[in-house]
Amino acid sequence: MISAENLTKQFNVRGVPLIAVNNLSFRVMSGEVYGLLGPNGAGKTTTLRMIMGLLEPDSGFVEISGLRSTNRSNDIRKKLGLISTNDGVYPWLTVREMLLYFADLYAVEPDVANVRLEELANLLDIRGFVDQRCSTLSTGQKQRVTLARGLMHDPPVMLLDEPTRGLDVVGSQAIFRFIDLLKQRGKVVLLSTHRLDEAERVCDRFGLLHRGNLQFEGTLDELRQATGKQHLVDMFIAFMNAPNKQTAASIGPNELSNEA
Amino acid sequence: MNEYLSNGRLWRLCQKELRESLRDRRTLFTLILMPILVYPLLSMALQRLVIGSVSKAKAEAVFVLGVADEETANNFLQLIEEAQRLKSEGFVSPITTIRTQDPKPMDNAKSSSEQAESSESAGDEIAKFDIVQPQKESLESALQNGTVDLIITKLTIESVKLERGSVPRHDIQAEFRQNDFRSEGALSGLRRITQFLNDFQSDRIRTRIDRKLPVAMTLKAKGLVQPADLSNSIAGVIPLVLILMTITGAVYPAIDLTAGERERGTMEALIASPAPRFALLLSKYVAVVTVAVLTALANLFATWMTLSFGGLGQALLGKSGFSIWTLFQILPLLIIFAAFFSAILLALCSFARSFKEAQAYLIPVMLLSLGPGLVTLMPNVQFTTLLGIVPLLNILMLSRDIMLGQSSLVPAFAAVFSTIIYACATLVVASRLFGAEAATSGSQESWSELFGRPKKRQLLPDIGELAIFLAMLFPVFFVASNLGGMFALKGSWALFFNALILFVLFLILPLIYCCYRRVNIPTTFRLSAGIGAGEQLFKRAGRWVGYLVGVTLLSASLWMVAFEAYLLFESWSFASQLTDADKERLERLKADFLAVPFWIVLLTAAVSPAIAEEFFFRGFVLSAFRSKLSDFRSVLFSSCLFGLFHVIAGSVLSIEKFLPTIILGLAIGFVAVRTGSLWPGILLHALHNGLVFSMSRYTEQDLAKWFGEDTRHIPIAWLCGGGLVMVVGAAVLFFSSQRKRIHEDPI
Repeated sequence: MISAENLTKQFNVRGVPLIAVNNLSFRVMSGEVYGLLGPNGAGKTTTLRMIMGLLEPDSGFVEISGLRSTNRSNDIRKKLGLISTNDGVYPWLTVREMLLYFADLYAVEPDVANVRLEELANLLDIRGFVDQRCSTLSTGQKQRVTLARGLMHDPPVMLLDEPTRGLDVVGSQAIFRFIDLLKQRGKVVLLSTHRLDEAERVCDRFGLLHRGNLQFEGTLDELRQATGKQHLVDMFIAFMNAPNKQTAASIGPNELSNEA
Repeated sequence: MNEYLSNGRLWRLCQKELRESLRDRRTLFTLILMPILVYPLLSMALQRLVIGSVSKAKAEAVFVLGVADEETANNFLQLIEEAQRLKSEGFVSPITTIRTQDPKPMDNAKSSSEQAESSESAGDEIAKFDIVQPQKESLESALQNGTVDLIITKLTIESVKLERGSVPRHDIQAEFRQNDFRSEGALSGLRRITQFLNDFQSDRIRTRIDRKLPVAMTLKAKGLVQPADLSNSIAGVIPLVLILMTITGAVYPAIDLTAGERERGTMEALIASPAPRFALLLSKYVAVVTVAVLTALANLFATWMTLSFGGLGQALLGKSGFSIWTLFQILPLLIIFAAFFSAILLALCSFARSFKEAQAYLIPVMLLSLGPGLVTLMPNVQFTTLLGIVPLLNILMLSRDIMLGQSSLVPAFAAVFSTIIYACATLVVASRLFGAEAATSGSQESWSELFGRPKKRQLLPDIGELAIFLAMLFPVFFVASNLGGMFALKGSWALFFNALILFVLFLILPLIYCCYRRVNIPTTFRLSAGIGAGEQLFKRAGRWVGYLVGVTLLSASLWMVAFEAYLLFESWSFASQLTDADKERLERLKADFLAVPFWIVLLTAAVSPAIAEEFFFRGFVLSAFRSKLSDFRSVLFSSCLFGLFHVIAGSVLSIEKFLPTIILGLAIGFVAVRTGSLWPGILLHALHNGLVFSMSRYTEQDLAKWFGEDTRHIPIAWLCGGGLVMVVGAAVLFFSSQRKRIHEDPI
């Protein structure tokens, strides 16, 4: 379970204080896919980084399966898998070498890692090129290797940071199947995206993030009831146009983005 | 942490980085192809340079000739004038012409092209000499200093009887500098003049045109081997090239394994993993150093081949050339250098966000590293003790001196030791920089986090902090330990000065550093008495007495071990290498020392070093090691550092101190860890030093009275007694202290 409590993070961008994430709280349960949605610069990546323990929140905390991220950062990292947009592969390593390397990074014992590698190779259909160098792979093959990489240490919690950005229809389909797989296995899945149409398809619950504030949270039905709109896109446009005195003044466009 | 630093895993992490580097064709290109291309080219260029400068010296220069008196000057001048007269009259030396087989007649040679000039025919010109008579210095030293190019030590004229009358015969003895183009050019100029005149004479004898034969000449020349001269600068080229090539080999893997991770998009996954950054960086470091060392090996081998089989080695480095032995001496230096520079490259590249940025950072560093390289090329720059701590320059100068076969021990030690310390510190900085950018968004923020004052208090300094502090401390320590000699301080002033330096370096600087980095001072330096405050008065008093008794017993027996260890080391021929001058100097020092009142000796050489060194070695250093390592390893490593710092004493290297100091360090380390307090260790250290210095007040005759007539060693009975006392002392300390780890204490 992920539980974020009152997360706040402020950056100084050229001397100007900027609230990236403001008093953010949410929970994600096992077997649930939670969509953290928002436009570029809403604070999605900052939130994910705080969950991973790469950034220390100014106030508030994150708990992963009962462990606080600030105290036991390394224990928490072992429970987390991360797959993000820009993930790459090592061109000079074979697929097997790369996956075993990441198993070592997560302190997985070698014999366990070998068994898991076989399992993932079947599951994600990478058996055919597991001993090829990554530089020889096609884009789709690389993407599947990346997904396998995220699962080598069998984390109970999976963070997906805009996993479909830059992918074509086939690539996106692979991601959706992957998310289904994670769900079947009872993982906690946190998906951050600005593709609202995709989120509607795969997520069980949503948190709409805008300028560091969580504007709405709930299932699609709950959101429809609350906003009176049918689709996420319409809901988003509605609340983005609504003035929000709390934070609007302090934020510049795209300043928070680390994705570029 | 430990599950990552366990050997198998760390090695697998290293394997990944090595695979990545060594499979990359660009790495292999610099590794293999560059040496194959560069060295033949370089050797051709050098060969041209050598030949070019020799022929230039022959053709154009006016040489300076030193003579001892006016008579020699006049006689020599006459010879030159004779040669010039004959030349202007059109005499062509038949022998020379035949021997060089120059197809062109002499008259045409003057107007002929450059090609003719650089060939042997240029030698037909009469060399020009300025004749000087050195006033302030002897002829030999003038030659040595380079004020003259050639000296004539003897010029005698005697009459030689022929069938009809007699002719004068000149015997010339000259000296020149070996391996100096100018000096050798002057000699060959002189040789050609004598040859020319001899040819003329034999021609006359043969043709019997003129029976008044003017001269017959012999020329004996003696070469002066020059330790520091032009050959220095050429010998400096080779290490410079080797080091630049080693850098070139390391640059690409360093960029690829750090900034490359970002460009490939693997960095985020890497730093999101629980693997400690230091382990990640260490594995990358191993890969970069490996590639650098492989490059160094390839280049060293190529250099050796070029120099040995191109014949250039002997021309540049003297008779022995570039021997295999030199090769094996240079190799460890290159490895140490590779270790140092790889750490610098990684630190720089770790901060870069892309390949381009990394290259932009590296170019200034490469240019900067050329600076020291140029210094080594300057002739007559000696590798002094103080230059031993200048990074990069020290390795360059040391390898130059090794190639010339004239390295000396103190700067060599300083160079190696300081470079290793710098490498460790740079590696720590690199591991802090690595991945920092990926975690935070504003780069200024991360800089200040790395080097500014931390926000949180730390109970103990960590090993990284120790490495950085040592890298700052060691150069200062080294310079300071040489200062006493520079001011020529004597007796008690020298002792006070030393005590002051120890206090500043080992007490005040660590305290300032800890304040700045918010490291908790009482826990770091173990300032508590090591006696539980909550205990009954009776129990506390018992501990006090136990500490006092234990420490006194230990110090009463430790001096024997130190003394025997010293003798052991001395017997390993270190002391026998002392020259008579050294021995005399030591005797003088000892006499000075004995003249100092004993209370001053105790104060400056026993009490103050005990306080200052204990604060540093058993305080700061031991605490830093204990933050990560077991007690045993911490004590061992801190004792080794303690020993190494004692080896450097002013401008001499006291290797014989190493072993006794380590033993003392181990003993005090045990006391410090066991009691959890610095103070018993200070007492032990002071008592030990005091005893050793009181021993030195006695003459060898006094010692002989105690130990028996014909041995310097401590009698076996004494040693056994000492051993017993030591065991009892250790036991008393052991049982009167309570064992606890400092960082589990609440502040």
